[in-house]
Amino acid sequence: MKKILAVVLALALVLALGAVSFADFEPDYEKTITLIVPQGAGGGTDTQARQLVEAMKQVSGFDNIIVENVTGGSTGIGTNQVIDAEPDGYTLLMYGTYVICGTMTGNTDGYKGLDFLDGLSLEPFMIAVPTESPYQTLDDLIQAAKADPGKIVLGNAGATATTGVVAYGLSIACDNAFNVVPFNGGAELIPAVLGGHADAGIFSQSEVQANADGLRPLVFLGDGHSVIPEFAEVPNMADAGYGDLVVPGGCFRGICTTKGSPEEMEKWVADVVEEAYNSELFQGWLNGAGLLGQFSKLEDFEAFNLDMIETMKPIIQATGLAVGEYAE
Amino acid sequence: MSTFLQGLALVSHFSTLAWCAFGAVLGIVLGALPGLTATMGIALVIPISYQLDTATGIGLLLAVYCGAVAGASIPAILLGIPGNPNAIATVEDGQLMTRKGLAGQALGGAVIASLIGGLGSEIFLIFFSPLIAKMTLAFGPAEKCTLSLVGIVIIAAVSGNSILKGLLMGALGFVFAFLGPDPMSGAARMPFAAYLRKTPLANGFDMTSTLIGLYGVSQVFFELDNLRQNKKGNICTDIGNIFPPFKKIVSMWKVILSSLGIGTLIGAIPGTGASIAVFMSRNAAVGICERSKGKLDVPGTGCLEGVFAPEVANNAVTGGALIPALSLGIPGDSATAVLIGALMINGVTPGFSLFSQNMPLVYSIFLTLAIANLFMALFQLAGVRLYPKVLLISQRVLMPIVLILSFIGPYALCGSSVSKGVFFMGTALFMGVVGYFMKKNGYPLAPIVLGRILGSMFEEQFRRGVKLGGGNFSRFYSSPICWFFIILSVLIVVSTVLRHRKAKKNE
Repeated sequence: MKKILAVVLALALVLALGAVSFADFEPDYEKTITLIVPQGAGGGTDTQARQLVEAMKQVSGFDNIIVENVTGGSTGIGTNQVIDAEPDGYTLLMYGTYVICGTMTGNTDGYKGLDFLDGLSLEPFMIAVPTESPYQTLDDLIQAAKADPGKIVLGNAGATATTGVVAYGLSIACDNAFNVVPFNGGAELIPAVLGGHADAGIFSQSEVQANADGLRPLVFLGDGHSVIPEFAEVPNMADAGYGDLVVPGGCFRGICTTKGSPEEMEKWVADVVEEAYNSELFQGWLNGAGLLGQFSKLEDFEAFNLDMIETMKPIIQATGLAVGEYAE
Repeated sequence: MSTFLQGLALVSHFSTLAWCAFGAVLGIVLGALPGLTATMGIALVIPISYQLDTATGIGLLLAVYCGAVAGASIPAILLGIPGNPNAIATVEDGQLMTRKGLAGQALGGAVIASLIGGLGSEIFLIFFSPLIAKMTLAFGPAEKCTLSLVGIVIIAAVSGNSILKGLLMGALGFVFAFLGPDPMSGAARMPFAAYLRKTPLANGFDMTSTLIGLYGVSQVFFELDNLRQNKKGNICTDIGNIFPPFKKIVSMWKVILSSLGIGTLIGAIPGTGASIAVFMSRNAAVGICERSKGKLDVPGTGCLEGVFAPEVANNAVTGGALIPALSLGIPGDSATAVLIGALMINGVTPGFSLFSQNMPLVYSIFLTLAIANLFMALFQLAGVRLYPKVLLISQRVLMPIVLILSFIGPYALCGSSVSKGVFFMGTALFMGVVGYFMKKNGYPLAPIVLGRILGSMFEEQFRRGVKLGGGNFSRFYSSPICWFFIILSVLIVVSTVLRHRKAKKNE
């Protein structure tokens, strides 16, 4: 009996290892890989991190992977913790558009102190108005804003949150027609728009979905159309006649680690994350949450990040929040 | 009805009850330990809830939530140290009752009050959820700003004998509140920003560490003083009856109803929180008791009313906070924010679709909330005879333990972020020294906490309200709710001043 068990276990081990094709490198199975989420437990970023970690455990057989929420400083505190960690590749960061904001506003050294492993996803945003709002299309909203600059309130989840960058970007592209008001996270933005205190707001799709009877989406800010069936008909910027406005369409997320970590370990983690990304578990969750998968790895991810930085720089500059080299 | 039965089927397992019981005990323990909050407790059990059935998992989370809010009253009553911010308004009367030898009644009363608050607010949650959710939508930034104004004038009312000292401490609380990121732009706002913005001080003084420092650490220093002077603290270990007389509870119906209403409504307004609810309901109770022509004792004199009012309110906040959480998917406080996240991890998206598509689950949530509340009351009541034994421990042993717990709490808040944890411990120590000198010189502690909480809220909502109006006050004067709160503020100030004059004349 014991023999059979041993054989089965050995087989399982071989299969588990075989599932991911690694080079000769083996990580230290005694150590713990910590994925730091610089945002609170329960948010979209956190949920994605937890799903990814479950998938990583499944595909790698490496069980000591934990998620840790390190909040504060507009995500700067958690980011700095990864930057300052031992460069061994066992401390990972849930990277996102927010880190770029944090870098340009001086809360963290951000992407300069990080090595890029895998880009994962894009969470597209939508602009929505209360159901009883007179504005039926994006054009209605923008025309109303231009007719009386500063009157139409465009709410967002915070000046240094990604929706904030999108809101400022849109307003700047419309000759500062909007009164851009940052709220303290989606938790305050949603009731403010539902209650008519703000004319429109920038939301993630799940936020609009949860309030389907109170909010009317005007435009889908991502590329193409929403993968969520009930939002598939929502026009994108080009459909709405504003295809020429360059506004970041959502929040992208990925995995980074401390700069200068050993190359083999970085490669190993990047491979495991890729495998996890392609797993049924993670893909299923991604689609269910309406996120767009957008995988890139190592140098490709870094290049993608550089593109994002170029898009965001003029917007952050225009908000007056940029410091140092980004302010010039 | 059939959906209700389906909901009932979801929760009628032994495992649901067992996990609710476990959650309630864990919550009470976490709540009673200084610095460990309901939010943290929920975050702690999320991984467990993930492994359970959805209804059972939610029951566990709710039980921890209710338990932690109720458990905080135990150290507040016995030691004068609130377990977490929910119990700050319970400290004064709870401590006075303990000194009078009524600790048993205070603890037992707090449990009953918590149960009334929890179940009462659940009734609102079940029957008036859509209505209350709509009502809270009327609270925009301008309305929240004037609501916090009411809280600020309550500083004057909770200031004990000296309004001036109270206001001074309230102002100090404001100073602490203004440290940290600018609420609108997120820009670093502190001295030496270039250096400090990359430290945990970038977030200002952490609320929980501040509270623990002011109440817990300072208490240890204070007792240390007593030990050195070899002064025998007049600790009364006779705890008297556990159950407050039933007649007494009935006679307080007005206090209970007002606290229940205030707690539920404030809990349902996102971005407000229990700390303001407990002080508002205590203030309301003072008014009610004064008008009762001597039938009720006035809070502040060490009476059951002063324990009941805040304890009904803080557990009413739990039910209230679930109203926007379930019906709109918007968290009413930080604990429900984590709860919503946990629901989503468990595959449930709160909000409109929850009610239209998954009524059995909604009913199961209501049922587990009731179960959680009952377990909370059961277990906390079971221990009431036990808790006061803490007072028998020599101060020489007890105080070091309190000090250690006061530092573990803030440290544990940060997970494994060591530098942040050490910083939070430093905050607690600093605030402990501040609190010690305040206590020694007769300055009240409550206003500084209230100022710290309301300062942030007032500033943020005020600036947002002005920004919404395009740079003017139009959002304020066009809202009847704002006018109501402004008039209420004026009335509170006038009545407080009159009360003090009367008290002086009587002397």
